[in-house]
Formats: sequence, C-alpha cells, structure tokens
Amino acid sequence: MLVLSRKVGETIWIGDDVELVITEVKGDYVKVGIRAPRIIDIIRGELRNDISDANKEAVVKSIDLLKDK
Amino acid sequence: MKIQTAYMDDIEINEADIIRFEHGIPGFEEERQFILLPISSDSIYQVLQSVITKELAFIVASPFIAIKDYSFELEEATVETLQINDEREVAVLGIVTLKETLASSTINLKAPIVINTTNKQAKQVILENSQFSIHQPLSNSKEEV
Repeated sequence: MLVLSRKVGETIWIGDDVELVITEVKGDYVKVGIRAPRIIDIIRGELRNDISDANKEAVVKSIDLLKDK
Repeated sequence: MKIQTAYMDDIEINEADIIRFEHGIPGFEEERQFILLPISSDSIYQVLQSVITKELAFIVASPFIAIKDYSFELEEATVETLQINDEREVAVLGIVTLKETLASSTINLKAPIVINTTNKQAKQVILENSQFSIHQPLSNSKEEV
C-alpha cells in the first residue's frame, strides 16, 4: 500500500482520472475531496466491506430449504 | 455450452443468456459471468450461478417480495456503465441469505443486483443513502416452505 503524507490543500492523482484533495483536517477527521469520472463509484470502505461480507455469507451451501415442499 | 453447478445437475446453457458483471461483485471481484437458473417452475427464488466456479451461487429474488414499494434512483454512473436506454430494460434482484428457515432468511435491499436485460450487463449497486437494509427479513414473503 502506498502511503503519502499530505497537508490541507494538497492533492493526489490516481491514474489519469481520479484526483484526491485534502480539504480539511480536524482532530481525528480528514475531509477528502474526490474528482473522478461519474462512471467510477466512490464509496465509504465500511459500507463496501459490509456488502462484501453479506455477499460472502449469502453464498449458497444448500438449496434443500427451497426444494423441499 | 455446458456448465457445472454444485447444487443442481450439470446443465446446458445458452451463452447469450450469460449475465456479465464487469467488475464482479464486492467480495467476488474476479467473478464476472453468471447465469440465472430456476429452482422450480413455481418458485419465486432463482439461483444466480457462476459460469466459471461451480460452487459459487447465490439465491436471488425480486425485492418486492420483501418490500412492496421498494424503489431507488438509478445513478447516472450505473445508467452509463450498463448502457441503459430505457427503464423497462432494467431488472432488479436482491441476494438472499438463507438461514435455517425461510422465515429467518433475509434479502439484501441495500445493494441490489441491477441487470440490463437487453445487453446482459449487470452490477451490484450499493445504495449509499437509502434506508433499506442489507438484511431485510423475508418474513413477509408469500412462499412457504
């Protein structure tokens, strides 16, 4: 993982299409501005992890419950 | 083409029916090709089966079996990515987490599977701002075991 130190107002480019800007630092919080094409989804990590966990939990182990009538 | 499944017999499928997830789904980013298979002629549930990995399958169902007036805005990003031209092309499914009983099972309404039925492109869309639940109980569903 690449780790960069930035001050407020400084930016980071990811590829040719995504730019991050540190807009504010306040205590434990950092505000990050993101400029990216609309086609790229931007999402908080925790929410993505929750969906990923739910998908993994949902993988079918048996469909007997749906087949027995 | 013939595909293997872990929970049903090997089956013959039409490649034109393969649903393509350009970036997979969260947790399974490398899995890009799935097919929808029926469980039985009268079941409201279907199986979203990986074409590549026979053990990877999900039970899916229409979100409306849990919430009658389920709805959400399709973001421009999704419309562009899936090349949606008309809302009638869109099919929406929720991934079901099967528990011991149907009554305790849940459906993911926070991250529905959105399919463009015309070009078979699909995506699991995460509704960041919606109130819907990742684990919405199915207990309202009409189908009994």
